[in-house]
Amino acid sequence: MKKGFLMLVILALVLFSFGPAFTATDKDTVVIVQGVDPTTMDPHNHMETPAWNLHIQLFDTLLRRDSNIKLDKLIAESYRIVNDKTWEFKIRKGVKFHNGEDCTAANFKFSLERMADPKNKLRQTAFQGVIENVEVLDDYTFRIHTKKPYPVMDAILAIYGQPLPLKYFQEKGPEHFASNPIGTGPYKFVRWVKDDYILLEANENYFRGAPKIKKVMFRPIPEATTRVAALQTQEADIVTNIPPHLAQMMDSKGRSFVSKAPSVRVIFMAFDTTKPGPQADKRVRQAIAMGVNMETNIKKILDGNGIRLGSPLTEKHFGYDPSVKPYDYNPEKAKQLLAEAGYPNGFDFVINSPTGRYLNDKEMAEAVAGDLGKIGIRATVKTFEWGHYMNTMMYGHNASPAYILGWGNTSFDADFTINPLMRTGLLLSNVSFPKLDALIDEGISTMDPKKRLKIYSDAAKVIKDEVPWAWAYQQMDIYGVSERLNWKARTDELMVVFDMSFKK
Amino acid sequence: MMSINRDPCIQAESPFQKEIFVLQNLLRNQTFSAFESIEESGRSVKVYIFRRLFHSILVLVGISMVVFIILHLTGDPAALMMPMDATPEQVAQFRKEMGFTDPLPVQYWRFFKGTLRGDFGNSFRHSQPALSLVLERMPATIQLTFAALIIALMIAIPAGIVSAIRRNSILDHIGMTGALLGQSMPVFWLGIMLILIFSVTLRWFPSSGRGGIQHLILPAIALGMFSMARTARVMRSSMLEVLGQEYMTTAKAKGLAPPVVILKHALKNAAIPVVTVVGMELGTLLGGAVITETIFAWPGVGRLAIQAIYNRDYPVVQAAVFILASIFVLINLMVDLIYTYLDPRVRLG
Repeated sequence: MKKGFLMLVILALVLFSFGPAFTATDKDTVVIVQGVDPTTMDPHNHMETPAWNLHIQLFDTLLRRDSNIKLDKLIAESYRIVNDKTWEFKIRKGVKFHNGEDCTAANFKFSLERMADPKNKLRQTAFQGVIENVEVLDDYTFRIHTKKPYPVMDAILAIYGQPLPLKYFQEKGPEHFASNPIGTGPYKFVRWVKDDYILLEANENYFRGAPKIKKVMFRPIPEATTRVAALQTQEADIVTNIPPHLAQMMDSKGRSFVSKAPSVRVIFMAFDTTKPGPQADKRVRQAIAMGVNMETNIKKILDGNGIRLGSPLTEKHFGYDPSVKPYDYNPEKAKQLLAEAGYPNGFDFVINSPTGRYLNDKEMAEAVAGDLGKIGIRATVKTFEWGHYMNTMMYGHNASPAYILGWGNTSFDADFTINPLMRTGLLLSNVSFPKLDALIDEGISTMDPKKRLKIYSDAAKVIKDEVPWAWAYQQMDIYGVSERLNWKARTDELMVVFDMSFKK
Repeated sequence: MMSINRDPCIQAESPFQKEIFVLQNLLRNQTFSAFESIEESGRSVKVYIFRRLFHSILVLVGISMVVFIILHLTGDPAALMMPMDATPEQVAQFRKEMGFTDPLPVQYWRFFKGTLRGDFGNSFRHSQPALSLVLERMPATIQLTFAALIIALMIAIPAGIVSAIRRNSILDHIGMTGALLGQSMPVFWLGIMLILIFSVTLRWFPSSGRGGIQHLILPAIALGMFSMARTARVMRSSMLEVLGQEYMTTAKAKGLAPPVVILKHALKNAAIPVVTVVGMELGTLLGGAVITETIFAWPGVGRLAIQAIYNRDYPVVQAAVFILASIFVLINLMVDLIYTYLDPRVRLG
C-alpha cells in the first residue's frame, strides 16, 4: 500500500510539472482578454467581434475607422466614384505582406472576388450579389464594378475585404491559411494554442511605422469574474465585457481603470405589425412607447449603462438625425391612446426576450412588462435561449406581438439597420410600411451622400410616427484596462493595438 | 470462526463456494482440478469481459442516439452561422448544403456511419474536423481530471482512515464536516472563491489559463473537492466496517503493530468499495471539468463542448460527448475488471 501511495505522489509530480511554462505578462507584451477564442484566422470567414479584434492586428483594409469612427484611408491612397456602379481605388506603393509578397491590385481583385462568390461558402456575405467583378487597371489601381448602385461601398471596405497574399494562399490553400495567417497588418502571427492563447509580434516593416508595443497576446476567458481577476492580478492589460456590478471592483486597488464607450449595438423592443392583435394598431404602439419609463429602467436595470435613442441609429451612424427624439414617458397620454384604440381596459400582451444574450436582457423585459401593467396592459415575459430564439422566433417570424433584439451595425450606415430590420418581407423584418419601404429603396440606390442624409432623416420621422420599435437604447461597452496602458474604448468594439502604448 | 491463514476476503459463510474453491486451487496451483479450474476461470473471465464490452457498445450507441436527438430538437445552427441580415434564400441554401433539410433518421444514419469510421464531420464554425478539435484539447482535460483525482485521493484516503481509526474524535468531526462542506459546495462558487482568495488577494497562483504547476493547482482543487469529500466518506465507512471484522481482532491479538494492521490487513479490504467509487468519480470529474474549465479558462474538451452547444456546432458536440462517454465507459469497464481481481466473487455474478 505504501508503494501505491508513493506511485500516486510520483504520478502527481509528473502531472503537475507537465505543460508549457507560465507565460506571464512582461513589459513588451500587451495581453488582451476576450470572452472566447476566434474560430478562424481567415479574415473573410467569420462574423464575430473576437475574431475581428484579432484580424485588425494582422490584416489591413482599404479604408479604416479612426478612434472617432470617422472614415479614413488605410491601404487606399485615394478613391472616387466613377459612376453609379463603379468605384475606383488607388493603393499605396510599398505595402508588403509578412512573407515579403507585394500587396498590389491583384491581391484585392482576388480577395474581393473570393468574397463575392457564394461557391466559396464564406460566412461574410456582404459582397455577394453586390460585386460584379474587380478590374485591375495597373499594379496600384483597380475598379470595383457593382451589380447595382452601392453607395455604402466605402463604409463596407472599412471592415471587409482584407487583401490576402496571393502566392501563399494559392500554394497552401484556405485550410492552412485559416490557422497560419499572413497579412499586411502591424502584427505578425506567431502561435495559436487553441482556447489558451494567440501570440503576435510586431511587424517592424509595417508601412505606417513599427508598432510601439512589440508583442500581443490574446487570451479567451469565458467567465466575467475570472476576466476581472486576471486584470487585478496583472495577468491581463485589457479585459472586455465587464458586467456593471464587477466594474465597481475594478478601480478599488488602483491597478486598473474602467473604460466605457457607447456600443455600436442597439437593443430594442420591436413589434410584429404584420400579425393581427392590438399591436397592429399604430395608436397602441405609440401608447406602449409612451407607457414605458426607459430612463428609469436604464438607470435601475443597467446601472445607467445605456443611452436612450429616438431612432434605430446611434449618433455615429451615417443618416442619424439628432432632431428625432424618443417619446416622453407619459402614462396618462398612453392610457388615453389605448382607450381611443378601443382598449380602455387594456389587453393581454407577451414580450419575447432572449436570456443572457444582452446585458440584463430578461430583467429589462420584466421591467418593461411592469411599466405596461401601470397603463393597463397585462404583459408577461417569455424568455428563450439564444440559438432557439433566433431559429424559431426570429427566422420563423413567430415572435409576435413584441420581441427584444440587439443589432450591431458596424458599417455605420443607416441602410444596414433599417433595411434588414424594417423593409417589408425581409428575414428579420416583421413590419410593413410602404412609405418607409420607398425611402429605404431610395436610400440604398442614391449615390449622393447629401441626398441620402435627407432620405434617412425622412425615414427617421416615419419610424417615429409608425413606432415599429417601442424603445431602443445603446448599450455601453465596459472594459477593464491596466494602469500601465494608454488606451480608450471605441464605439465599434475594436481594440487597435497599433494605437496603444505603455506608459513610461 | 474463520481460520487465520485464509485470505480474509473469502469468508466461510460465503455462498460463492464454487469461486472460493477455484481461487483456492488457483492459489495453491497443485492439482489437476486446479488446472481445470484455471481454464474454467479464464473462460468465465473472457465471457464476463465480452459481456461487459457488448454492454459498453450498446451504451455508446444509446448515447450517440440521445445526443443526436436532443441536439437536433433544439434547431439547426443556420441562425448562428449566417449573418443576421442574410436573405431567406441564403439561409435556405445553407440548410440544404449542410443536409439539415433531410429527415432526421437519414441525418442520424449519416452521423452513425461516420462515427464508425471515426469521422464526426467538420465543425460548422472552425474550419477543421470535429474529432481533431476534441483530440487536441484532450490532453488538457485528462491532465486536469487526473490532477483533481490525485489531489482528491491524497487527501481523502488518509482523512478517511484517520476518521475511522479515531472515530468520534475531534479529528473525525473535522474530517467529516470538511467532507460535508466539500460535497455541498457548487464547483462554480468554489472556483470563484479560490480565484478571489488565492489569486487576487494572496497572489499565490495565476487566476486562469494553462501553463506550469501553478496553473493546475486551483482548478484541480475546485474540480476534485466533491470527489475528495465523497471518497473520504466512503473510505471512512468502509474502513469502519472492516475494523469491526473478527480477523482484525485476531491480527491485533497476534501482536502486530497498529500501522501494519491498518495498512496491510484492513486497507486492502476497505479499498474495494473505494475503487468502485473512484471509477465513478473519474466520470464525475470528466463531466465536472466542463464547469471548471469554463471558470478557469482551461483549454479542454469541456469548454469546447460548451461553446459548441451554444453555437449548435453538432459535429463538435457529438464528437466531444462521444469521446468523453467512451472514456467513461472504458473506465467503468476497467474498474469492473480490477474489481474482479480484488474480489473474485464478482466474476460470475
